[in-house]
Amino acid sequence: MTALLEVRQLTRTFGALAAVAGVSFSVRQGELVGLIGPNGAGKSTLYNLIAGAIAPTSGEIVFKDRPVAGWKPYQAARAGVARTFQIPKPYRHLSVLENVALSAMLHDRTVAAACGSAQAILADVGLADYVDAPVGNLTVGLLKRLEVARALALRPSLVLFDEIMAGLTPSEVRGMTNLVAGLPARGITVIWVEHVLYAIMKTAPRIMVLHRGELIADAAPEVLVKDPAVIKAYLGEETSLA
Amino acid sequence: MDAAPLTSKRRTGRWRLLPERGTISLFELLLLAICLVLVAVPLPQYLQDVLIQTFLWAGLALAWNIAGGFAGLISFGHAAFFGIGAYTSSILAANYGLTPWIGLWIGGALAAAFGAVLTLVCARLRGPFFILSTLAAAEVVRIAALNWAALTGGAEGFSILPIASIANMVFESKTTYAALMLGYFLLIYAITKAVEGSRYGYYLFAARDDEEAASAAGVNPLLARTGAMCLSAFLAGIGGSLFAQYFLFLDPTHVISPELSFQFALLPALGGLGTAIGPVLGSFVITPLSELLRSYFGGAGAGLHLAIYGAVLVVVMLYFPSGIAGALQRLAERGRKGAP
Repeated sequence: MTALLEVRQLTRTFGALAAVAGVSFSVRQGELVGLIGPNGAGKSTLYNLIAGAIAPTSGEIVFKDRPVAGWKPYQAARAGVARTFQIPKPYRHLSVLENVALSAMLHDRTVAAACGSAQAILADVGLADYVDAPVGNLTVGLLKRLEVARALALRPSLVLFDEIMAGLTPSEVRGMTNLVAGLPARGITVIWVEHVLYAIMKTAPRIMVLHRGELIADAAPEVLVKDPAVIKAYLGEETSLA
Repeated sequence: MDAAPLTSKRRTGRWRLLPERGTISLFELLLLAICLVLVAVPLPQYLQDVLIQTFLWAGLALAWNIAGGFAGLISFGHAAFFGIGAYTSSILAANYGLTPWIGLWIGGALAAAFGAVLTLVCARLRGPFFILSTLAAAEVVRIAALNWAALTGGAEGFSILPIASIANMVFESKTTYAALMLGYFLLIYAITKAVEGSRYGYYLFAARDDEEAASAAGVNPLLARTGAMCLSAFLAGIGGSLFAQYFLFLDPTHVISPELSFQFALLPALGGLGTAIGPVLGSFVITPLSELLRSYFGGAGAGLHLAIYGAVLVVVMLYFPSGIAGALQRLAERGRKGAP
């Protein structure tokens, strides 16, 4: 099976610091891949590289068999790569509906059609009650869901989720987990960064671990929890598992 | 700051009382009717003059608002576009005998080209840095116009022959000018409403509110911004041509002055930035006020009109931070909540 996204020896340095150092992996169509790592591991930089927010120092990104390293965010979005932002970035002066409709306008030719698509997606993510609210009234948890709604409204083939569970209650986490788990069946491939580990460990059949800019593991969750390198990265050397 | 946002419950088939995005309200129709009546009824000369200026400035403020309000490109340099439009149509008429009816489009196009270059050169600048660049760019145009005397008449100014004819776009009757300026203002209002309710309008709002998020949603922010500035400059340039045809005299110190640029930004800011009706209300309140104050205090208390004008601006900014349109919208929301 050919890869939807292929990353080869991707590197991005900021001065002397290599935020992402020689990362290679590939994701097939319909996969749900978790991406974890301690703070500062380079997860957000990796997302910024794939989604075109920053250009790589070296390395290749191939999306749908096309080399795309260094593309612009709007080119990525048009080609089918959607992302959420770790710190939500709503359009302050637009309503919740308009925030999502803007993404839907990528495919819908009219504002009315885009609003229709946006309504359906808002219901999907549990924001139906907030359709007409100004975004200024939303809590962090609701803003995270708005981020997810905006990403899905682009009708992407690949979506990059960045900590969409932070600030959610346990029952909201369950709802969101079900939503994410159902995306591959709808033809949407998912890469998912999350600090709420129990959610991602249960849901993603494959998890990649990033540490200090390098990919130190790429395996099923049950294999990962026994991987000494992963344990070391998360808990430190001094900790004994005994 | 913004117009009433689009809601899920589009009450179709019912007239809205107050302006909303994407529809025409009773308030707007009433305002239109008042404008038409004011043009039609015989008014004293000086009131007709106030009317003409009010319509012209409503159009100019709306033009500025497409860049400053919709796209967040706060410009203190719109006098440059205005001046380019005014001089282009006037010079083409005087030197080449081209009717201003055609010249004004060329003036608008030149202003748009200048706006595009300005936006692209300042692509990386934001906030105060962008504002200062627009101010500086307009000063460059003013100084160029002052010194290129062979073309513009320099500091001595540039006169348009007052020979009334349709081809010359010079008219005996102030009523004709009032109708012309009303047409200009209504044209830009229609364009503004169309942009506001379109996908392109939303791209501008999004790029203004969060450029990174807009880009991730497939919007090319630089292209959107440049387009907005081009359209804004084009319409301001046409306004400059119309101004020239009414005043029949141009000199760089007046038509490309920073004061004029501030006026462009002030009217939408007071009326309600980023809304369609805001710049109109700004001009309808402020232009007559400044003209009437000027004529009332012109002789004895010279300068007093500026003090009163300034005081009014401060009061409006303090108590109506989202402009007159914002106050109207709050009124509407209160009304909606009160209704059964």
